[in-house]
Amino acid sequence: MTRTLRNALLGAAFGLALAAGPAGAATIKVGVVAPFSGPFGVVGKSFKEAIELYQAEHGKTVGNDTVEFVYKDLDQANPAQSKALSQELIVKERVSVLAGYFFTPDALAVAPLIDEANIPCVIFNAATSAITEKSPRYVRTSFTLWQNTVPLAEYMAKQGIKKAISAVSDYGPGIDGEAAFKATFEKHGGTVVDTIRMPLKSADFAPFMQRIKDSGAEAVYAFLPAGPATLAFAKAFNDTGLRAAGIKFFGPGDLTQEPDLPALGDAALGITTTFNYSRAHDSAMNKAFVAKHKEMFGSYDTVTFTSVGAYDGTHVIYQMIKNAGGRIDGAKAVESVKGMSWESPRGPLTIDPDSRHVTQTIYLRTVEKVDGKLENVEKEAFPKQPDYGYKLAK
Amino acid sequence: MTSVAARDGKAGQMTRPAPLGRRRDLGWIGIPLVAVAGLAAYWLLPDDLALLTRIAASALFVLSLDLVLGYGGIATLGQAAMFGTGAYAAGIVAVNWNSDPFVMLAAGGLAGGLIALVTGALILHARGLTLLMLTIAVGQIVQEVANKARDWTGGSDGLSGIDPAPVLGLFRFDMFGRTSYLFALAVLVVGLVVARRIVRSPFGLACRGVKEDPLRISAIGGSPKSYLVALYGVAGVFAGVAGALTAVTSGIVGLDSAGFPWSAEALVMLVLGGTGRLYGAVIGTAAFMGIHHVLAASDPFHWMGFIGLFLIGIVLFLPGGIASGLERLGGLFRGKEDRA
Repeated sequence: MTRTLRNALLGAAFGLALAAGPAGAATIKVGVVAPFSGPFGVVGKSFKEAIELYQAEHGKTVGNDTVEFVYKDLDQANPAQSKALSQELIVKERVSVLAGYFFTPDALAVAPLIDEANIPCVIFNAATSAITEKSPRYVRTSFTLWQNTVPLAEYMAKQGIKKAISAVSDYGPGIDGEAAFKATFEKHGGTVVDTIRMPLKSADFAPFMQRIKDSGAEAVYAFLPAGPATLAFAKAFNDTGLRAAGIKFFGPGDLTQEPDLPALGDAALGITTTFNYSRAHDSAMNKAFVAKHKEMFGSYDTVTFTSVGAYDGTHVIYQMIKNAGGRIDGAKAVESVKGMSWESPRGPLTIDPDSRHVTQTIYLRTVEKVDGKLENVEKEAFPKQPDYGYKLAK
Repeated sequence: MTSVAARDGKAGQMTRPAPLGRRRDLGWIGIPLVAVAGLAAYWLLPDDLALLTRIAASALFVLSLDLVLGYGGIATLGQAAMFGTGAYAAGIVAVNWNSDPFVMLAAGGLAGGLIALVTGALILHARGLTLLMLTIAVGQIVQEVANKARDWTGGSDGLSGIDPAPVLGLFRFDMFGRTSYLFALAVLVVGLVVARRIVRSPFGLACRGVKEDPLRISAIGGSPKSYLVALYGVAGVFAGVAGALTAVTSGIVGLDSAGFPWSAEALVMLVLGGTGRLYGAVIGTAAFMGIHHVLAASDPFHWMGFIGLFLIGIVLFLPGGIASGLERLGGLFRGKEDRA
């Protein structure tokens, strides 16, 4: 009996503290969950740098409130841990907004939390279309596989390519990419002669290269997780003579993200990708962004798509705080940024009111050498691309 | 709960003479101590229930590893196969049929036990490094199956949308994690009581015999392999329940739950706490995850280095794990009393 009573009292105290917290305090906290250590540590680093850069440019205050970022390290895809960390951010740190999330399962894990706590969650990366369907409090400022692949497949069809083959890693994003590619390419009159799903841990790609060669395809659409797998795939593509045979290599831009380019080396030259951001994007705003990054952190080597994801995400969070006038109510805060448009280093962005995902320009780029450094050089732009995968996948 | 544990411990003590002397005395204190410390943590650290819940569920998993390794001498780096199977089974049952937490635990335990029996029967004829390799292989197979069966498991996106029903229809799983934690703690304490019963039963003693000298067990007419397979299956039930408990408290299951790093981390926690003691699993898990949490919170960017130093320190100065240190400390006090 006493325990129930104490529980109830404790609950009431929590509830009051939570409700009163943001209103009374002059500090609004934003919790960022991302990998800050381990193999994906570079992602968290780029998030943090982008947030600091944004705060350096726009100040740390919105109205009367100071915005403070609290970082939590989640070094790998681990949804149970993601939920525990997010729960701690909400209950202990009393954050008003959750942000970050690199891996899809980690982002999906917080859906029940943000709904119960009525807190907005701004996703800086996790790219599976289905995420924003799971809670009305998700907003996403990155990209999806569908968003990048649809314009690419259309472009390939327009180039007169009739027969293509897809080769993807056998996991969620790869299968998303394959589905998007097949649907779009065939809609535009092309034929996908074969779809290869490569085990995630493959290290030897020669057998797959043979299948690509035997299929008689003119072009390959490939998606692999960034890092060693992509490296080995691109090398195998060159070594087995597929490039020499004139087979064209296409893929979403994750394949040739900036931090990986030095490791890929000349094997990457000529790979054509579509993506939402290239560090070499030719705009005054992007040049200022990259220059400011170099000024603050000594180099711009880490500037990549995760940087703009976090930079624009921070912009959305600032806008939410501004609209809310100091006290954030999750559902209303998300409502207030629906349809919001702004100019980012990557180009014009709009938050789609239905999917709560950014509608943006997708660029067609080819890897080339610029001043001795490998860069994704933009060749064409496809403006106003929505998330084609929203409510499409099962 | 506490009183049941205590009574059980005392009863065991009276009926059966202690084969291991001093260790035994701490043994029965261990379980009520875990319950009391757990409840104390509930009041003292109300903001850290998310972490505490994860510690409780992980401790149950490490406990299953202790049964296998500490009592059966089975070297394994694939215990997460059972954990993951249990977690997925519980998740699939919750999403498709019944989301009662107890049903989920039962499904997890059943699935974990079954897969352990099947794979155990296949691989336990091997010993040493060969066995270690086979357990890793089993883990990889389970993970790959979970990745392939996307319609059921969500593949690499994880199995989300698990919404467990209130415990006994009364206590909702709330955002603050109060229900989750007390539920996890209760399951852990029950797990400890059951595990203690098992390792002190004739069956448990036989398993220890196999660990010490399998040849001798066959000489007196026992079958070492069948004892080990049975133990592996029992530990699989524990691991499966731990997986299901994680599914209940976190509402999502990812591929990592069957992954190699999780098996390896459990081994580190067990060695840290001390093998072959049951409560060593709890101490090791609490120490490792607690320190991990404090370090990662104070410096999210470089904490891994400090964890490494901490582990090296433990291995150098307390080779038997933290529990052995506590026992030595206990022995020291007793020695002084004797002398005085």
